[in-house]
Amino acid sequence: MRPNILVSVALLVAVVVFGYFLSPDLGSFGITLMSGLFQGMLLFLVASGLSIIFGLMDVLNFAQGAYFMVGAYVSYSVHHSPDVMAAIPDPNIRFFLSVISAVAVGAVLGGLLERFLLRPLYARPIFQIVLTFGVAIVMTEAVEFIWSTTPYSWTVLFSLRDQSFQLFGQSFGVYRLVVIGIGFALIILIGLLLQRTRIGIIIRAGVEDREMVEALGINVRMVFTLVFTIGCAVASFGGAIAAPFLGASAGLANLFLLSAIAVVVLGGMGSYAGTAMGSLLLGLALAVMQVFAGKPQIGLPVLASMTPMMLMILVLLVRPGGLFGKGR
Amino acid sequence: MAASEAILEVRDIHTFIGQFHILEGVNVNLPRGSIGVLLGRNGAGKTTTLRTIMGITPPRSGEIRFEGQRLNGMRSFGVARLGIGYVPEHRAIFKGLTVRENLHIAERRSGDFARKADLIFDLFPDLKRLVHLPGGNLSGGQQQMLAIARALVPDNRLLLIDEPSEGLAPVIIEQLMHAIRRLSEQTTVLLVEQNFRMASQLADRYTIIDEGRSAVAGDMRDLVKDQALIQRYLGVA
Amino acid sequence: MLRRTLASNWFYVVLMIALIILPHAIGWVSGDSPFGVRGRPVGQSIYWQGILIEVFVLAVLAMSYNLVFGFTGVISFGHALFFGIGGYILGVVLEYTDLTGEVGLLIGIGLTLIISAVLGLVIGMVTLRLRGVYFAMFTLAVAEMFYIFFSRLALTRAEDGFALTELPVWIDPTRSRLTFYYIALALLAATFLFIRRLIFSPTGAVLLAVRENEERARTIGFDTLRFKLLAITLAGMIASLAGLVQVILNKKVGPEVLNVSNTIDPLLMTIIGGAGTFTGPVIGAAGLHLGDRLLRDLVIEVGGASIDIGANWALILGIVFILVVLVFPYGIVGTFRRWRTKQAK
Ligand SMILES: Nc1ncnc2c1ncn2[C@@H]1O[C@H](COP(=O)(O)OP(=O)(O)O)[C@@H](O)[C@H]1O
Ligand SMILES: [Mg+2]
Repeated sequence: MRPNILVSVALLVAVVVFGYFLSPDLGSFGITLMSGLFQGMLLFLVASGLSIIFGLMDVLNFAQGAYFMVGAYVSYSVHHSPDVMAAIPDPNIRFFLSVISAVAVGAVLGGLLERFLLRPLYARPIFQIVLTFGVAIVMTEAVEFIWSTTPYSWTVLFSLRDQSFQLFGQSFGVYRLVVIGIGFALIILIGLLLQRTRIGIIIRAGVEDREMVEALGINVRMVFTLVFTIGCAVASFGGAIAAPFLGASAGLANLFLLSAIAVVVLGGMGSYAGTAMGSLLLGLALAVMQVFAGKPQIGLPVLASMTPMMLMILVLLVRPGGLFGKGR
Repeated sequence: MAASEAILEVRDIHTFIGQFHILEGVNVNLPRGSIGVLLGRNGAGKTTTLRTIMGITPPRSGEIRFEGQRLNGMRSFGVARLGIGYVPEHRAIFKGLTVRENLHIAERRSGDFARKADLIFDLFPDLKRLVHLPGGNLSGGQQQMLAIARALVPDNRLLLIDEPSEGLAPVIIEQLMHAIRRLSEQTTVLLVEQNFRMASQLADRYTIIDEGRSAVAGDMRDLVKDQALIQRYLGVA
Repeated sequence: MLRRTLASNWFYVVLMIALIILPHAIGWVSGDSPFGVRGRPVGQSIYWQGILIEVFVLAVLAMSYNLVFGFTGVISFGHALFFGIGGYILGVVLEYTDLTGEVGLLIGIGLTLIISAVLGLVIGMVTLRLRGVYFAMFTLAVAEMFYIFFSRLALTRAEDGFALTELPVWIDPTRSRLTFYYIALALLAATFLFIRRLIFSPTGAVLLAVRENEERARTIGFDTLRFKLLAITLAGMIASLAGLVQVILNKKVGPEVLNVSNTIDPLLMTIIGGAGTFTGPVIGAAGLHLGDRLLRDLVIEVGGASIDIGANWALILGIVFILVVLVFPYGIVGTFRRWRTKQAK
């Protein structure tokens, strides 16, 4: 095995073992693990787009978290809208529709951002970064304009969300398992897409040398638009499937942006394998820290919310290229 | 010269990179079926000339025509699609892609690679057993062969090859020269080459670029005899 | 010499004199004393002094941001960190130690400058070797971390923050607002002059060279890392002073001084006003803050729908910002200057 894989696996095992010793019994250990994987999958949905977009087009999309937030709002609204409720009374089916709507909105907004706001700025990269930051502000403010500043929590019950099963004396939510399953499936699916398809080969080549890809006769800008659209759609999908648990609030944008940035730094900018591994690691680390920091002996719950930032700072100090990066 | 039709005409191009005026009037004229070479000292502007033809650093003024069609203002993917293959300096292959993927990505129509596989592996037999290796694992010479092979995948009628011999062992250079001579039977080639021996053995025509301007151009056989000219612009004997 | 200086800078001199007279002028027009009424901070003049102090604070903050972004070409998304840390240090020194009054104030300011400089140096050394975007990410993360930390830290009363009660009387903005107004104005003027001096110095020339093309500046033989470090350290120190003035004005320290809005504001003000110009950030700060204040209660009717300008000020600003980045990347001042040069030709 390559050393970076070895190191990642060792870190993963360390986090899990630490979590095990923190847990009083197997049941709560299971809960911690599942919570970690759940958070990791949500992180992956934001971080994968962030990382691939950065690798391919050198744009760090500071609005990536805002797409997650928009996904949550759209999913919430569709599911709770009286009109849609009347048309589709079954909450499970309605949830599918909610998710699809969120993905569609994310895709359209993402495509528009790349095509009309970023494209004129490829010659001025510094302004691109600043622009995505501005877009994040506008999206957050627009969401507050449309949906007010009060956070929503999911109120409609549906069986997919609320079913659970018993194991080791704890009750586990089915929904979290489903999300974890979907997350793993997407990790593999996107990985296959990158490895096997022509567009995937073009993306990987573009990450290395955009100019050369174009000189081979490939219209790289069309690939940019496509990748950006997909990246934003995936982030929006993340928000949509997280909403039944996290609700919809403007704070999601910043929260998930920062954690996703931490993932990308941890995994190595532009590395897909690194992003997948980094998501898992950070998700599990978050869950374990939430348990650890909440212990009465420690009593510093703030530690948990600082985990992504501390991790990122650590990585930048020790190995700026991240686990799967090339040194810098 | 008027006898054979020019496949590439570059007329008085001026190129800026940022605020720097890099090319200050370059002319190149290349008859179909020939091998042309751009000569000149390091930093003279040879690479920039090729990049300008490819549309990577577009010219601010002047004119570039390929088979009579104006290339000015076209983005580089459009230039490539007209039938121009580019082999950049420093062997810019995709190191993370396998040899096969490096070749596949160059397809302009599906099946291009399958059709050209025999030709490519005939020219560069080494590549055949390396198809599953990442490009980064290849030796310098193999990478250079892959870079040229990649330009052969689609039906290109003009190849721009930038310093193929750079940093390679003499045996490998021999092999490359052989390959270039053979592929020039089917396409026109514009080379940039510092290795004067290699250039003089391969090329029919030369253009000397000096400080961003094309200084002299003509028949390679005349240049070989003109020691004074060689000394003046190239500083080699 | 003096006459030449005055002649070429008449605009700034006039503006400065106007700002010095302004509290008295407002007092004269409105009939309210610029010193307040019997030591209480009331009246038109006092009210406007408060708003102008806020403008000065934002202008200083924006100028410091501009030093990094506009003159050196480095993007920071964590300027709020420096702004906020200044407030917390002063607050902790005054309220949580035995130091009070002038001594506490001086030590607080000294510590603020030292700690913000150290923070700037450390953050810079970790990230400035990497690509520019790492600095942007890292500063965002560190600033956010401090924000979360102080929002939850019981010692500094978490989200509520704590009041400054042990300020010397002469600087206390509820008792001697006019003095404090002049102090803030002095900080504004000093920052402006300092940055101009710096940029016109040989060091400034290198900063500009780094902004234009760092690779090239390095090839010429400059240790660009050191110059970038210098810029962010100085900018951090200036921003922390702005934060100090802000918390003294509010007489309160709370996590809101570390909020990301204190990064967004100077960024918007710098770019809208004109990045890489001397007056741009000041004009941006004045324009945006006064606009915010004046339009706060405005509700406009557009085709039957009423839009509450005040409530959606940030949204409007964001959209303006995006348009400026796309269409007028040189901002108000830069665009005006280009237009004038073209006219002159
Ligand atoms: N990106 C760039 N920025 C500034 N100058 C450049 C850049 N690329 C090339 N140059 C300059 O252009 C000149 C020509 O370069 P090049 O075309 O690579 O020369 P050659 O291939 O003949 O050695 C050189 O002086 C080089 O320094
Ligand atoms: Mg060259």
